Amino acid sequence: MHGTPEQLIACHECDLLLERVASQPGEDVICPRCHARLYYTTNNCIERLLALSVAGLILFIPANLFPILSLQVFGQSQSEIILQSAMSLYEGGLPLVALLILLFAVVVPLFQLIALFYISFTLHYRWQGRLLRQAMHSYQHLRGWGMLEIFLLGVLISIIKLKDIADLDIGLGLYSLGALILVITLSSIFFNPHQIWHEIHQHRQQDDTDG
Amino acid sequence: MAEHLPQYHSARERGYLLCTDCEKLHSISLEGGHCDRCGARLHSRIPNSLSLSWASLLAAVLLFLPANLLPIMTFKSFGQGEPNTILGGILHLLEQDMLLIGLVVLIASIVVPVLKIIAMTILLCTVQFRLQTNLRQKTIMFRIVEWIGRWSMLDIFVIGILVALVQLGNIAHIEGNDGATAFAVVVLLTMFSALSFDTRLIWDNRKPDLPSGVSDKKDEQ
Repeated sequence: MHGTPEQLIACHECDLLLERVASQPGEDVICPRCHARLYYTTNNCIERLLALSVAGLILFIPANLFPILSLQVFGQSQSEIILQSAMSLYEGGLPLVALLILLFAVVVPLFQLIALFYISFTLHYRWQGRLLRQAMHSYQHLRGWGMLEIFLLGVLISIIKLKDIADLDIGLGLYSLGALILVITLSSIFFNPHQIWHEIHQHRQQDDTDG
Repeated sequence: MAEHLPQYHSARERGYLLCTDCEKLHSISLEGGHCDRCGARLHSRIPNSLSLSWASLLAAVLLFLPANLLPIMTFKSFGQGEPNTILGGILHLLEQDMLLIGLVVLIASIVVPVLKIIAMTILLCTVQFRLQTNLRQKTIMFRIVEWIGRWSMLDIFVIGILVALVQLGNIAHIEGNDGATAFAVVVLLTMFSALSFDTRLIWDNRKPDLPSGVSDKKDEQ
């Protein structure tokens, strides 16, 4: 066996030991045994994430404050924001389901956006990031638990189910939600864990030599 | 593709372990310690992966019964209406000629959970009984299962939206029932099962005396 740990890499899905090769931008390095994507290069990774997380945090406000849908039957009307799905279920005696909706559709996406903003802002402006590691761990472990896109499909299905029974109005909240999902999806595409951990490592070393 | 060394060896066989959070390679002597780059705890394989994954899967299978037998929601209009189960709701949609949306709900609520449970059983049996076949296909199957499982939460979100929206007193009123809790927990448990499963265990099964490259040529044909 040749090479030091720095020149070697193991596949995270099948543990195959490999020699590290340089990756060109836009090119994925693939595991020859299980075909998992090992690492890749994203251009301007931090800057893109900074822009997207700011956009996401701004969009999060109208997506959660304005009604998603309004319903009118016999002159009575009822409108709904995301949070109300959780509240109504809680009041209706299903606290666990309410909690899951609150977590997957509100808390996790918000927390991920905040973590992403903190990571990209700190690395881009070279601020002292005491919580960088924690922010990265939280973001990575929460991947897959934010379910806004599934919530959106749920809204579309609800519209079709109710359209024969009542008049429905699509609210500003639904458009904001669509834009928010686009931004979150893009940010998860540009999120390159290897590159960011590498930057965090350099950032810490710089801090150590500075002070 | 990354350059593979003359012979296939796992990092563990060669005395290395990979940090699961930042993917830095360490010496295996650091097992149980912390990664010097990201601070995560280091393990060559997820501890108790097999038992945790089996346990979550078994619990999900047991809860799958009440999730499908108990009603998930009740629609009441002018005092009339009866509770609906998951399957009842789908049949109702199909009867009303809402074929596409009925199909979407059928796939998300029944097909995906059932396939996920079957797929996880196959994967866990592969590791448990040291099966050697179709390892690459099984890894791909795991990736699909891991990605698609969360879409089963669809029905739960639909219930949440309908309950919040249709609160018009006597005219029309929708409420959630206990089947929804059971179903949400089934989805949660299958997600935990996939999360605790370490795909590297599939590849640890390979017979050590297998000549390198032989099985791969077979895979590529």
